[in-house]
Order: sequence, then structure tokens, then C-alpha cells
Amino acid sequence: MKYLYTARSVAAETFRESVKNRFFTVFAVFAACAIYASLLAGVMAIEEEARVLSDLGFGLMELMTLAYALFHAAMAIPREMETKAIYLVFSRPVSRPAYMLGKAAGLYLLGAFMLAVMAAIHLSLLSLRGFPPCAAYFNIVACIWLKIVIIISLALFISLFSTSPVSTMVISAVIWTLGHFTPEARFLIEKAGGFSGALLKGAAWMIPDLQLYNLRDAPLSASGGWFQVFYAALWALAAYGASVLLFRKKEF
Amino acid sequence: MKRVIVSIDGAGKIYHLRGLGRKMSVAALSDFTLDIFEGEILGLLGLNGAGKTTVMKLLTGLIFPTSGKVSVFGLDPREPRAKNSIGFLPELPYFPPHNTPYGALRYYGLLSGMSGSAIAAALPVVMEKVGLAPHAAKKISEFSKGMLQRLGLAQAVLHSPELLVLDEPVSGLDPLAIHDMRALISGMQAEGKTIFLSSHSISELEKICDRVIIMAGGHKTLSVERKNWETAPGALESLFVEAVRR
Repeated sequence: MKYLYTARSVAAETFRESVKNRFFTVFAVFAACAIYASLLAGVMAIEEEARVLSDLGFGLMELMTLAYALFHAAMAIPREMETKAIYLVFSRPVSRPAYMLGKAAGLYLLGAFMLAVMAAIHLSLLSLRGFPPCAAYFNIVACIWLKIVIIISLALFISLFSTSPVSTMVISAVIWTLGHFTPEARFLIEKAGGFSGALLKGAAWMIPDLQLYNLRDAPLSASGGWFQVFYAALWALAAYGASVLLFRKKEF
Repeated sequence: MKRVIVSIDGAGKIYHLRGLGRKMSVAALSDFTLDIFEGEILGLLGLNGAGKTTVMKLLTGLIFPTSGKVSVFGLDPREPRAKNSIGFLPELPYFPPHNTPYGALRYYGLLSGMSGSAIAAALPVVMEKVGLAPHAAKKISEFSKGMLQRLGLAQAVLHSPELLVLDEPVSGLDPLAIHDMRALISGMQAEGKTIFLSSHSISELEKICDRVIIMAGGHKTLSVERKNWETAPGALESLFVEAVRR
């Protein structure tokens, strides 16, 4: 119980700090401008305006949330260590697993909040142009959030051993990119034999399959999306477990 | 005979530093032994790199001893019950600048396991005690160094700990802020708290401490009681110079 109470306090503080950060306003304004700028591309698409507006909007929502959430995930713990704010946390009866959970939960919440704000902007644009949102609109937004959950969990883990927040962001961005090509990568790995094939097969397990969440290209499977939820939870749990192991003996 | 509340027995601490393909070990503390008695103000005096902060971090469970034993109220400093009995003010504490002092203190109160109602009751009292009540509505970004230090002290005493560990509490403060901080520390001793503080400033420790430990190169070189430095020619300064040059 105390574990959850502490995690909730850390999560609320992490969320509050991220939203009150001056970059948040810049991101929000930029996101709104970018989503509304897709009007231009929509007009040029003539008959496909609805699809272009919809796809560009989703793409921008995903990239904006990814950039901001990754920025915060990469900084969350290193910054507290650098400013020594972490002294005030761990000189108190705060368990390290609860702290890690709180940090992750606060960032998941930040991702959800950003997506909600940008979805509202996007829906207002679609309604302005007289297009109804697609039937799977909220499923698509939920899938974007699940991807963000996976990448935030991995970024938090990487930030515990990487040399700087920039390297955390770069490694996470590489994982994000590779995650969208796992089906292709698996196909190529199957073709490769011998030791290198076995090595690549092992490495492929370290990359989440983010293509599972691309509902714009493929509709939800018969599981109704529960597989995607389970898959994201599994990756988040694995990253959390590894982070706790790494953080357990860390000194400040 | 007063109760021993902190006991450090032959503690050592080695930091392992990693560079480009190199691994280096630095002994920050060696065979350090210390008892802190209930109700006293104990000062830790030493040059930069003497190991003062290492001792404070060992007490607060932020680092772990490489050798020896540390106990706080008879417990391992990493145990939640031990941590709940300690209030820690690190050197130059950091608080999120967009927050208000109430917001920051509320967060630290929650982390100390206080209920919402207990925090609400303690906040005005603590803010008044450290002299921040008139600045409660300000953002932390508007705070001076002295006000930040007061806020640091407020978060340390919020959960009513029995032991206060203060790392360089007057570092970088102006003379008036130092005077106020000294009064605050003395007031806390009068309330029955035990205070363990480190400083570079000999004159500061002379004014408020009952006992001073002098450190050099990770070792305890001398333990002096008030009556000793008050009667010594050249007071605490001469004892310090002699001890660190030994």
C-alpha cells in the first residue's frame, strides 16, 4: 500500500513538472500549428483530403508526443541526480521500485495528456473541414499511446546506464525506428544463416514490434486490441524489472 | 549518560570511478568511528575533500559503506524507520523553480509518509518557523539563496525527525541569513532535536556546536568539546590547523 502511495506521489509530481516545463507550451503551440498546417497538404490532395488530413494528423500527434515524452524520459532521473534533488527523495523512506514506478507512470500520463490535447486539436480541424473522424479514431490514438508507453519504459531503463540524456534519446529513437521494421527484419534474418543469423535472431528479441500498433495500415486483429495491450504491458514490465534491478544498488 | 543515537564503527568508503577504459578507486573515508548523542549539536569540520559529505550520505542511506558499520537509532540507515527519524538538508538544495514552497513541501511530506491532513497542519507551522510564511505565494524561481536554504531546512523538519543532518547549512549565505540560520538551528536544539552539521566555517561551528569532529583525508583526526576550544589558546582554529597538518 505504501508502495502505491509513494508511486502515486512521484507520478503526480513527475507529470506536474513535465507539464509546467516551459518547453511544454512551445510543444503544444508547435503541435497545434503543425496539425493545422496539414490543411495545406489536404487541399492539395483534392479528393483524398480527408485521408491526408487524418493520416498527417496522426503522424504529427505520434511524433510530437514521442519527442516530448522521450525528452522527459531521458532527463527524468539523470536530471534529479545532477541537481541532487534525488537526495531529498532517497533520504526519505522511499523504496526504489516505487520511485521507478512513479516516474514511469507520470510519463505515461504525460503521453496520454499530450495525445488527448492533440486529438482535440485534430478533431477540431476535421470538423472544421466537415469530415467525420474514422471509426477507429480512438483505437488509433490508444495504439499510439501504447507505443509511447513501450518507448518511455525503454528510455527510462536506458537512461540508468547511458552516458548522457542525448545518447538515451538517440538509442531510444533507433529502437523506435527499428521497431517499425521488425517484420521486414525478421524476414531478412530468416534468410541469414549460421552464427550471424543466430546473433541477429537474438538481437531481434530486444526490439519491440511497433508495427503491431500501426492501425492506419492494418485494422485491429480478431483479439480486438487486447493482444496489443498485453504486448505493451509485457514490454513495460520487462523494462521496469530491468530498471529496478539496475537502480537497486545505485548510490547517489 | 546520554543515549547514543548514531553509531559509525570503523566505516570506510571507496568510490570506483570509471573513465575511458580506466577504472580508478578513491578512498573517501577510512576506518571512521563516531557516536552522536541525543540532543547535542555536533559539527563536522574539514577541508574540501575531507570526507564530510560522505559521512552525511552514509547516515542518510544515500551511499553504502564499503567496510564497517553504520547504525541510526539502532537500525541500518537504509531502513524506512531509520530514514523517518532523519531530516536531511543537502548542500545547496534544489527545488523545481516553477513550484511554490507549499507545493514542494507537500511533495516531500507525502514521500515521508505523512497524510494529507498532517501535511496541511504542519505546513503553516514549518513555514512560520523558517521565516518563509510571508513568501508562501511566491514561486521558488523568485527565491534568493537564503530563502532556498530556509526551504531546504523546512523540508528537513517537516516530518518532525529526531535527528537533523545539515550539510553546509550556511554555505554561500550573506551574514544576516547566516545569523538567522544559526538562530533556527539553536531553536531546533531547544526543541529537543539532535543536530549534526558540517561546515568549512570554524567560527560558525564555534558559535553553535557542543562538540566538533575534525576530519582530514577521510580520517577523523580530532574530537573537541566546547570547553576544550574555549580554553585553548587560539580557540578552535589553532586546534583545527594543528589537526589537519598532523
